[in-house]
Amino acid sequence: MTSLQVLIKEIKNLKPIPAVVIPLLDVVDDPNASMQDITKVIQYDPAITADILRTANSAFFGLKQPAETIQDAAMMLGTNHLVDLVMLKISAEVTKGPQKGYDLNAGALWKYSVSSALIAKQVADQLDLPNKNSIFTASLLKDIGKTVLDKFVQDAFEKIYNLVINENFSFMEAEKHIIGVNHAELGAMIAKTWNFSPKMVKIIRNHHLTSEIMVREKDIAVVYLSDCICMMMGMGVGADGLAYRFHQQAMDYIGISAEDTLKIIADFSCRMGEVEELLKVA
Amino acid sequence: MEHIVGVADMKVSNRTDDTIVTYSLGSCIGLVIYEPQVVVGGMLHYMLPSSAIDAVKAESNPFMFADTGIPALFKQIYELGAEKSRIKVFVAGGAEIMDQEGIFNLGRQNYSALMQILTKNNVSIWKQAVGGYSNRTVKMEVASGNIYLKTSGLGEVRL
Repeated sequence: MTSLQVLIKEIKNLKPIPAVVIPLLDVVDDPNASMQDITKVIQYDPAITADILRTANSAFFGLKQPAETIQDAAMMLGTNHLVDLVMLKISAEVTKGPQKGYDLNAGALWKYSVSSALIAKQVADQLDLPNKNSIFTASLLKDIGKTVLDKFVQDAFEKIYNLVINENFSFMEAEKHIIGVNHAELGAMIAKTWNFSPKMVKIIRNHHLTSEIMVREKDIAVVYLSDCICMMMGMGVGADGLAYRFHQQAMDYIGISAEDTLKIIADFSCRMGEVEELLKVA
Repeated sequence: MEHIVGVADMKVSNRTDDTIVTYSLGSCIGLVIYEPQVVVGGMLHYMLPSSAIDAVKAESNPFMFADTGIPALFKQIYELGAEKSRIKVFVAGGAEIMDQEGIFNLGRQNYSALMQILTKNNVSIWKQAVGGYSNRTVKMEVASGNIYLKTSGLGEVRL
């Protein structure tokens, strides 16, 4: 079996993502959806519902009265926050473990995913983009491919590292060259098996902007920018370092200047304590 | 005791059982100062080159910026008795994303901001590990002044 065949088999053996995700993403991206439509989808999954209520009632959210139902939680936190919280929980399940090949300890990829999702949402807000929830979720799950590619990266690390250091390959160009697939492509394959929308699959596949055309897709550019900001801040950076390509055209396209990125970094650094607290309760 | 210097943070110590460490620098700079005679060491992890972008944040957390954080580190080290002529300076971080040019290259700007301040004050660097695409972690033992550098993909070395 080639590496690619083994990887495809591994994807098929992955634990499926909770069923609530797909209908939830559909309903939040529908501008006509009501709060009730959203809570109906969430309460269909009793495990997630119980988990969300426990988190919503933790000291972190400081609710004056305990939320007893998902409707209460939606009223008190706002539906947007509620949806983000569901996605945070789900991303924790799939990204929390360690990734030794990428030299990431347990929790590092998750923390990084949450941070980049919060930055992406902040930028999406700033640019007043629709689909903020799917941008948030795509940011949370964009590196899902790393969780499966990890073992292969570990085995082939020397070869990959050599291409990066001596041949000016980006880390994912080297992944592709040595293993036959990179973590973004693999992530897209996983998202497809999970029946994610074609748009979501596209963001995950292109979150490092491998094709020039993708520079002109705002959702992708925002996810990309937040990833670059996390790398610069050293968040979730493992053995791959910062060895990914920078595309200034993407920043120009969404109208984010160098100074804007510095301001986003300064703002986000003040929220890092909040992120730590959120990770503890989520 | 191990003291962790967070992002936009600083620690100074003259306790011989202390270790100071900062993780995952990315494009940020880790500035380490050690004075062997009085046995005092300090570490700053700043993120951005200039406080001009946000004076309010610089006021509440001077360690976020080079121009406010670096003087603060030197000041504290001197207050604990360090002499300028004896200090040893180590710099790590300032990494960049591939093809990150000009004003978007935060790592290089962070390093330039440091060099301007050090040059102006006649302070030279003992050793450094800056730039490139590597993520770095730095640790210092206060008693010995030993500095350990961990580079992504390469493991840890004592300098």
